[in-house]
Amino acid sequence: MTTMATRIQMPYTLTPGEATGVFLAELGRRRLIGSRHGDRILVPAQDFDGSTGEPAEGFVELAPAGRLEAFTVTAQGVLGLVLVDGADVPFLHRIVGFAEADLTIGARVAAVWADEPTGSVLDLAGFGPAGDGPGFKPRIAPDGLAQPFEQVEYTMTLDYQHSYGHYYGTLFDAVRTDRRLRGVKCSQCRRTLLPPRARCDVCFAPTAEWVDVEAVGVVQACSVVHIEFIGQRLKPPYVYAELVLDGTSTRLIHMVGGIDPAEARTAVAPGSRVRAVWSDRRTGSLADIDYFELIPGEPS
Amino acid sequence: MSYAPRPVAVVNSAQTLFKPSWADRQHVDLISEAVTGVLKGTGLRIDDVDFVIDSGSDFLDGRSISNCGFLGAMGAHHKEESRVEEDGLWALSYAMNKIASGSASVGLVVAYAKPSELDARSFWCTLLEPFTQRPVGLDHLSAAGLYAHRYLTAAGLKPKDLEVVARHAWEAAVRNPNVDLDEVPSAEPFWHERVASPLHGSDFARPVDGAVAVLLAAADVADQITTRPVRLTGHGSAIDQHFLAAREADALPACAAAARMALGTARATAFDIAEVSATSTVGELMVLEALGLAPRHKALDLYDGGGATAVNPSGGALPADPIMATGLARFHEAAARLAGRSGFAAGEARTALVHGTGGFAMQNHCVVTMEVAA
Repeated sequence: MTTMATRIQMPYTLTPGEATGVFLAELGRRRLIGSRHGDRILVPAQDFDGSTGEPAEGFVELAPAGRLEAFTVTAQGVLGLVLVDGADVPFLHRIVGFAEADLTIGARVAAVWADEPTGSVLDLAGFGPAGDGPGFKPRIAPDGLAQPFEQVEYTMTLDYQHSYGHYYGTLFDAVRTDRRLRGVKCSQCRRTLLPPRARCDVCFAPTAEWVDVEAVGVVQACSVVHIEFIGQRLKPPYVYAELVLDGTSTRLIHMVGGIDPAEARTAVAPGSRVRAVWSDRRTGSLADIDYFELIPGEPS
Repeated sequence: MSYAPRPVAVVNSAQTLFKPSWADRQHVDLISEAVTGVLKGTGLRIDDVDFVIDSGSDFLDGRSISNCGFLGAMGAHHKEESRVEEDGLWALSYAMNKIASGSASVGLVVAYAKPSELDARSFWCTLLEPFTQRPVGLDHLSAAGLYAHRYLTAAGLKPKDLEVVARHAWEAAVRNPNVDLDEVPSAEPFWHERVASPLHGSDFARPVDGAVAVLLAAADVADQITTRPVRLTGHGSAIDQHFLAAREADALPACAAAARMALGTARATAFDIAEVSATSTVGELMVLEALGLAPRHKALDLYDGGGATAVNPSGGALPADPIMATGLARFHEAAARLAGRSGFAAGEARTALVHGTGGFAMQNHCVVTMEVAA
């Protein structure tokens, strides 16, 4: 076993705050809203000026047109910095509808609105070519501003390819093919570490010797889990336990199963002797052990 | 009560090989290799280390508070340990302050990254404000492209002029045994395929996996260990605002502020070596200018080899960017040269300036200076 593909997918409810909330809400009405900070105007509207720290004194509506100050062409499209007429700081957005040869610094651009608003900054699809038509000066305190978006749903997805390395790889190969647990012994304190690693966590001495560890041990601590949360492998209630396998100095987090969860609080306790119940899966991970079960006739 | 900071010195520094993918090693494998290496030859053992400060990214590592799982590999068991979610050069400056304050004598600084486990674009985009910047498709490449378009325009340069920056970096990295690189890339797309105009593939830093460790100590301790002790003489850091559009168009004022703090009245040009970090060729030019090594829009002149300050003799960050460890790698390269440990220009260089950067599109900057003790 060399690598493990994992995905972290986290749902968020983001809070844009007042200025960004108003800005986003107004894009759906095809209006470009900035904020006033002393004699400076920022668009998108901000609660504070990032350069001066000045709070917003109020909102302004800007003509949805400006001048292209810089651009970059990438595989994903063109991004540019647009100095919207009347604003003091450029607006970074997509540049659309230009033939590449026509992209020049100083080009006049105008807002290109999305056909259907979806409640994001992409309700303004980007800025496209425009003539020199008359716009308007920023309008102080525009009438009938939309209520700010209070929350924005967002999901972050990150895909990883984690390396096992020599030590975990050796362990998981043995788990998958032979149902063996393999640890390493510290060259100094002689304790057995599982999962195996290059250096002892306690001594920082190199580990030296592979040893087989029997999938039998003792419960160090346990808890009955009743709540549901993201990433759970079993349906609650179940017993979550910290185990010490015989001969090892490390703790292993796993589940204790095969018992009625209602009785678990009294049936499983620190000191209970347990052994692995292997599943039919051969994925090469410690999840190949379905759970640990109490050993009949031994302390529980 | 009067207070005088204790002088702080470098005992040793070490790193793993930097390569695009250490697919057969875990983070802990890389970290323990660097930490083992930094102790070797010093006579110090892990028990002599008073504290550990480490640097890494939960996003890159794919787990929260990732340092908790790496403590054993850092030798941090039952020690004071703290983590910085910034480049390792920040971790180093915190360690420096702790020793200077007198509250500890020996500190271990560790920085690591395995960007091969996550695609670089995903990582950089996690740093972005999610309402107006992330959805439009801004990433580290287009951000560098926007800086470059404005820089080249203002400086009157062409995209091809940047090739000298990349060539200098990659040629130096071929000579550098710390970087997994046999020859300067010759493939046509690397030099000429547009990635984010006006920049090509050769203009961007190459993410690599690896770990770096530095051992700092109070100068009186270091003086007993090393024959050519290197003293830390200054440090500073400063951060720019997050919104790229609101920052300066073609300069890095936060980098300049960090340099002012680190240098005081000294001048950057008084240093024998400058090891600087950047995520693109234009980024490297802007850093050199912000540090005061070149006038604005003139940093390209530094690459003709005639300057008093050797710029990135290691190759810098372009051929090898271990993201969270890049600044600490610069420090390692500079300290090894000053101490005569690397075999390169041993004994000739006495002073060095080191720069690290972090955040989206080089938002944050850290500068550290050092010199061989008289």
